[in-house]
Amino acid sequence: MINTSLSLTNFRNHHQTDVTWGEHVNIITGPNGAGKTNLIDALHYLCMGRSFTSSSDMYVVRQETSSFLVKGAFRGSIRSSFEVACSYSRGDGKRLWVNDSPLERHADLIGLVPVVLVSPDDRKLTGEGPAERRSFLDALISQTSPSYLDDLIRYRKIIRQRNRLLADIHMHPDQLDLMLEPWDRQLTETGSRIIARRGTLVRKFQSYLEQAHQELAGSGLVPSISYRTFCDIGEEPEPDAGRILQDYRTTLRDSAGRERERRQTLTGPHRDELVFYLNDMELRKFGSQGQHRIFALALKMAQLYFYNDELEDLPVFLLDDVFGDLDPQRTATVMQMLLQHEGQSFITAAHPDKISGFSASGRNRISSFGVSGGRVEQTP
Amino acid sequence: MQLISETLEQAVEQLARLPGMGRKSAQRIAMFLLKQNDEQVFRLSRAISDLKKNIRYCSVCYNITDRDPCPICQSEKRKTGVVCVVEEPKDVYVVERTREFNGRYHVLGGVISPLQNIGPNELRINELIHRIRDGEQIREIILALNPDAEGEATGFYINKLVQPMGVNVTRIAHGIPMGTDLEFIDDATLTRAFAGRQNF
Ligand SMILES: Nc1ncnc2c1ncn2[C@@H]1O[C@H](COP(=O)(O)OP(=O)(O)O)[C@@H](O)[C@H]1O
Ligand SMILES: [Mg+2]
Ligand SMILES: [Zn+2]
Repeated sequence: MINTSLSLTNFRNHHQTDVTWGEHVNIITGPNGAGKTNLIDALHYLCMGRSFTSSSDMYVVRQETSSFLVKGAFRGSIRSSFEVACSYSRGDGKRLWVNDSPLERHADLIGLVPVVLVSPDDRKLTGEGPAERRSFLDALISQTSPSYLDDLIRYRKIIRQRNRLLADIHMHPDQLDLMLEPWDRQLTETGSRIIARRGTLVRKFQSYLEQAHQELAGSGLVPSISYRTFCDIGEEPEPDAGRILQDYRTTLRDSAGRERERRQTLTGPHRDELVFYLNDMELRKFGSQGQHRIFALALKMAQLYFYNDELEDLPVFLLDDVFGDLDPQRTATVMQMLLQHEGQSFITAAHPDKISGFSASGRNRISSFGVSGGRVEQTP
Repeated sequence: MQLISETLEQAVEQLARLPGMGRKSAQRIAMFLLKQNDEQVFRLSRAISDLKKNIRYCSVCYNITDRDPCPICQSEKRKTGVVCVVEEPKDVYVVERTREFNGRYHVLGGVISPLQNIGPNELRINELIHRIRDGEQIREIILALNPDAEGEATGFYINKLVQPMGVNVTRIAHGIPMGTDLEFIDDATLTRAFAGRQNF
């Protein structure tokens, strides 16, 4: 998928910005605070319907204005050309359009323009709690499967409804089982589908991760991901959803007493964990800072390679501020990869000297842009 | 801003409370009404007050109606023994528009949703049980609830109570609306339609 042009109105420090991009590598440079990340974030809005830098759309609206609008024109293989738009204002909230027709559900946008994002926040993936890793996995699968996203949204709703029943247990102590049953059925059915999909994905992902990690770090240590849920999902490439469902029902029944004590749902994919390894060393506990950084970057590159194989359209690849963190050799590896990548990519860098060496070699594939004070100009 | 007229301000305030109406549109409507003749405005205000005064719930199916029982429950042309269970009165109109269904209805008045403090007792589920038990000879119940988590939970709950009473419970298939271009179907609907596909 190619984003041919992008338009920002009152988006962060961009008053009105219109850019026409190159088809391959787009390098965006400028001093700190110029508005580079904001450009990448605007693209992220058109792919995922939300910011990756801010948890609230409100902060994205340019100060002293009341709404923002982002529009992008895309070119793909199935839909040859279409436009995606996203706006937010305090009164109307967030709204999304594809070719001027409003989307009823945010979820319907996901996957239309597949995206892979590398950002400084990736350090949370390997360093912080399991929620970060679950949401990486969920975003990874959701972009390839609307039905998975559908299940996820439904599952979250079921958990909230069910937890409310458990929290209000004193209001209906002897009817709780009867009240829980309709939710339990949906919980276990939806939940076991989610687990089977996650298990399948993690297994499929392994070879992509190995490839990406080897490109970045050589063939010394082999990375792997272990997917842990409440039950044993077996060794097959595609875990058996039917058997997971049986286990889920049993485990839920067995934990009924504890659930009533703790007043929340204790069994299910909302508590899954992904554990990262280098050979048999657990990364989170024993990895060095450098190993963490390479692993996180390898996860994202693997996501890109996976999508290249899996999806009809190549994903848009966004890299915000990656080079600040990398040594010259890895910078070279990533740049080589980008130059070979058939799809479109966007890279921001505060110090152009780190990548200027490549501009010459990849001249016909690289387009350069300079940003300052929320204004963008193409540079030769 | 100086208040031009307290009467106008009151009308705008009331109109602005309607769903989907902002202050601006409320002002526009109030100004529009001012320009209409007396008779037109009176008809509108009477229709609004009659809405509350005359409309009641059917004591059999709980649809909204002017007379009790409602025309559908009274009609001799409608099959007895088959009841279509829906969430809201508006769903009755949706099903009626298809002209596919010739039985009677039961309007629950919502769906089970603990987050909104709506349990089975807040809905007309007991009333449905009474209809089955007290002589309406109901053989089949068709659940026409929304396919979201709350609709499904409500369906499960009703099925669990009703099936032991010897009633056949079915549900409508959720698929592609007739006459709709596949292109305009959202992915979730299409996915479910595929999951529920039947032999041709
Ligand atoms: N809502 C907003 N309105 C106006 N300016 C904003 C808003 N949010 C952030 N900014 C400004 O945007 C700039 C940061 O842009 P960013 O894209 O992160 O810079 P960089 O080029 O370093 O990546 C800062 O100058 C900040 O003050
Ligand atoms: Mg930045
Ligand atoms: Zn009636």
